[in-house]
Amino acid sequence: MFIQGITFRRLCHARDLLHEIHDSISIAGLAEQAGISQFHFIRQFEAVFGSTPHQLRIQARIERAKDMLLRDEASVTEVCMDIGFSSLGSFSSSFARRVGMSPSDYRRSRRGLTQVQAQLIAPGCYAMLAFLPAEAFRNFGEA
Amino acid sequence: MTIQIKLTSLMVEDQTRALEFYTTVLGFKKKQDFPVGEYRCITVVAAEGREDLELALEPNVNPAAKTFQKALFDQGIPATAFEVSDLEAEHARLKAAGVAFTQPPTKLAQVSIAVFSDTIGNLIQLYQPPR
Repeated sequence: MFIQGITFRRLCHARDLLHEIHDSISIAGLAEQAGISQFHFIRQFEAVFGSTPHQLRIQARIERAKDMLLRDEASVTEVCMDIGFSSLGSFSSSFARRVGMSPSDYRRSRRGLTQVQAQLIAPGCYAMLAFLPAEAFRNFGEA
Repeated sequence: MTIQIKLTSLMVEDQTRALEFYTTVLGFKKKQDFPVGEYRCITVVAAEGREDLELALEPNVNPAAKTFQKALFDQGIPATAFEVSDLEAEHARLKAAGVAFTQPPTKLAQVSIAVFSDTIGNLIQLYQPPR
């Protein structure tokens, strides 16, 4: 499909609005703002960003939850309320589906690791090479 | 020659989705895939190209990487470019696979280019050099 410049900019703006955790404009509202029918809005959005608007909104909330859990400033219930989930059950299952573990397990497993991770993942893949097993270098060398 | 260019990298929002897109949709081949903490060191090579020219799909978890990537994307600027021998054919193939183009095949002097979204945070340019 071809996305015209103006539509592309409107889709980018919609993506930004979906990252606003505390401002839950409906998907229909976003489509209307973009001046596109809801059907085409969802279709074009997914083709550009790889997720539907709804999936991206949930993902943004889960990312915010991960961040709050890492910073250890709020209880799991408070995190759940902050990111706008109505029940702890749906938050926990949605979190576990995407992250692979419950919110409290995530907090436990990452405790103390934040600093290390931030330093480790500097832009530029070359920093990551330091962590590869020896056979990886053999492959790079042969290549 | 002792100093060479063999590896370049592209920042991606989600490495699993990136590997899927770059192999299944674009048709590159996976070369390396090693876990590094909660991320992976993934490289791909062109299916019909040289095995020793690798593209790393690296996570954009560093906030500086995210900001840079998003700024380029929102301005419509491709993060990188890949060469094709038949732009019209590649465009038709990728379009049929559901890829969204922000610029259809366009002739610019000697080179033809097109731009698409890789769905993981980058715009990618395809170019066909003069025959």
